[in-house]
Amino acid sequence: MFNYKKKAALMSALLFASGAALADYPEKTITLIVGFSAGGGTDVMARNVAPYVEKYLGNNASIVVKNVPGASGQIGITEVAHSDPDGYTIGTYNLPGMMARTLDRDSKYSADSFTYLANIVSDPNVIVTSKKSGITNANEFIEAAKKAPKSITVGMSSLGGDDHLGLTKFQNITNTEYTIIPFKGSSGARTAVMGGHVAAAVLNISEVAAFKDELNVIGVARSKRSEFAPDVKTFKEQGVEFYNGALRGFVAPAGLPIDIELKLLEAFNKAANDPEMLAKMNATANPVEASIGPDFKRLNDELYQLAKQAWETTPWK
Amino acid sequence: MYMDLISALPSVLTFDNFFAIVIGVLSGIAVGAMPGLSATMAISVLVPFTFGLDPLVALGLMAGIYNGAMYGGAIPAILLRIPGTPAAVATSFDGYPMAQQGRGGFALQIAVVSSAIGGIASALALMLLAPPLAKVTLLFGPSEVFWIAVFGLCSIIFLLGESPIKGLISACFGIFVSMVGADPITSEDRFIFGQLELLDGINMVILLVGLYAMPPVIDLLEQPLDTKEAGKALKTESLLRSLPKMFHFWKTWLRSSLIGIWIGILPGAGGSMAAFMSYNEARRASNNPNEWGQGEPEGVAAAETANNADTASALIPALTLGIPGTAVAAVMLGGLLVHGLQPGPMLFRDNPDIVFGFMWQFLFGAILLIFLGGSLATNSFSHLLKLPRPVLGSIIIVLMFIGVYSINERMFDVYLMLGFGLIGYVMDKFKFPLPPVVLGLILGGFAEENLRLTLLIGQGQWSALFANTTSLVLVAMTIAVVVGPMLKRLFVKTK
Repeated sequence: MFNYKKKAALMSALLFASGAALADYPEKTITLIVGFSAGGGTDVMARNVAPYVEKYLGNNASIVVKNVPGASGQIGITEVAHSDPDGYTIGTYNLPGMMARTLDRDSKYSADSFTYLANIVSDPNVIVTSKKSGITNANEFIEAAKKAPKSITVGMSSLGGDDHLGLTKFQNITNTEYTIIPFKGSSGARTAVMGGHVAAAVLNISEVAAFKDELNVIGVARSKRSEFAPDVKTFKEQGVEFYNGALRGFVAPAGLPIDIELKLLEAFNKAANDPEMLAKMNATANPVEASIGPDFKRLNDELYQLAKQAWETTPWK
Repeated sequence: MYMDLISALPSVLTFDNFFAIVIGVLSGIAVGAMPGLSATMAISVLVPFTFGLDPLVALGLMAGIYNGAMYGGAIPAILLRIPGTPAAVATSFDGYPMAQQGRGGFALQIAVVSSAIGGIASALALMLLAPPLAKVTLLFGPSEVFWIAVFGLCSIIFLLGESPIKGLISACFGIFVSMVGADPITSEDRFIFGQLELLDGINMVILLVGLYAMPPVIDLLEQPLDTKEAGKALKTESLLRSLPKMFHFWKTWLRSSLIGIWIGILPGAGGSMAAFMSYNEARRASNNPNEWGQGEPEGVAAAETANNADTASALIPALTLGIPGTAVAAVMLGGLLVHGLQPGPMLFRDNPDIVFGFMWQFLFGAILLIFLGGSLATNSFSHLLKLPRPVLGSIIIVLMFIGVYSINERMFDVYLMLGFGLIGYVMDKFKFPLPPVVLGLILGGFAEENLRLTLLIGQGQWSALFANTTSLVLVAMTIAVVVGPMLKRLFVKTK
């Protein structure tokens, strides 16, 4: 067993001892595996962040994006988990999806398969209702479900995603029951709620920012208001302690040499605070909320527990 | 908003932008003409490279490729009975018989003119009617979309061929293929036999290439190395002289443009459904429906007009609502996102120059198609026909492999394609019609997903399927399409 103190001591020792090795990495091109096709939200994030990680890694580092789409990112992340932990393969990582897949599918990876580098994007959930529904705030939304359980239809992107786990969480907190309607993708759910075909939908703030006038946005699942929609109240402001969202970040295979891990963490940390990068992410509707290294790992464990609890109490398949 | 439209024009008329459209149209034709390569793929390959480009230049390239590819697919469909893209399947029905009768050159000219007309109509719809048409999209919820899928499936009746039983078996095979992959609602694995590659379902292009390209290619290879036979070049008149012979298609052009635009604004269906439906409607309206399928020029016009007419209109829901009408529109949305252009009503307010510029580019792309597709591309591609048959067959096989491999960069898809090729070859030999398979794959999944969503929303009540006017209208249309021809036959008999 490798306890934390030992690891920390070793890390600092290595840091001093391996000054030379540290300067050498990276010696060749780093492959960044994106589990979705080019142009999707995760791909856009990867391509926006990569140049800044290159910049802060120094050494003329070059990162090449490789799209490995399929099975909602599972094929790509499995490839990351099984590649050599030499720092030359890293991958994008989505939460809670990547952890939910270890529960609802036969996955060839687990939470221990990765070195957690950095979470960059945190896109909080929002609950929206159709103009027709007449529901405009969290209280009315809860009351309607209390009066007639399951009478409110709630669209979302798919089962086992952040929207679904978010609603499960919301139901537990407020002791309510809704009818879950899983569409293929959030844009389908958003259009259905705009057309009044479902009463409400769970989406992400980046997906509704441009549609605020066509929908009632009843609350943001975040501790503070989002700069993408500063006029929309949080659920906390309305007395419901509901926080949830979709996270997008970067991982490497488990067992990365410590000097390389530290160098990557430092580069990601600097990149995450680069004003130019932040401006680009803002323009592509990617709300940045960075957690680096151990913080990211802790976040992952938390979300895994949530998904596990939801899976055990209300399995979705 | 029309002021915005006009003020966006100057920024499109720069050399860079125009050059981008020209390159886009030319490469689109080339991509479309190669079996296995599609506009979706070309644009998704392009998206990462457009990061550093000016947004309008990038979008011009995409608009050009989209328009070019929709026509390019017709070239091998007419000359070799191998549709270059899924949307060109209906083009081969009459295009290939025409080519066999020595009228291939005329068929290609019809295809290019019809494609351009469809593209222009679609671009105009996008430019002038985007916001009101977006409202139409909102009317279509799961139950309405389900009925559209049923309506489309009913048109299989016309595609069944000589033996309805064989046709139905083909259709069922297509619907079965649509069930492979994750369940649309619960994401449960279905028929994937432990292969993660199958979880997203079977890509249309893989099925199409295997089923449609393999049998003709094997035919080509079966022909002996006879260069005398192959030496025939394509007989073509100048477009100016053949154009007057097309004017009587105006009704078909109009009808097919409208069908294409309508299918385009509905989420999910896309070019192949537009082409099938417009081919059916044109055939039903024709005086000589029995001659269709044996080289009727109007059939080529109907199919090609419609598959280009859904290009720009597919962008109406994509730009205004963020829902792509076709797979290509989905990739284009990615292209917009890369440049920080978020789809939605705000897009028109915040970036009018780019949005309206993009619309102009679609219009110019469609017009350019006549010049670029008419002479240059068509002539160079028809030279391929002069190659000895076995050589041509081998080249096509190589292209098929490259095309299918590059969809997801995996050999698994190539093996899958070969499997479908074998099935296609056997089906071809035993005279099972292939179009019902394609339609079954496209619409089967579509119908299933929306039926189940409707039932979920209606808490399990089947009456939810008939709960609103739009659904009822669609039901009535479906009944008319199915029962109409039967009554007609009955009426004619008793007379």
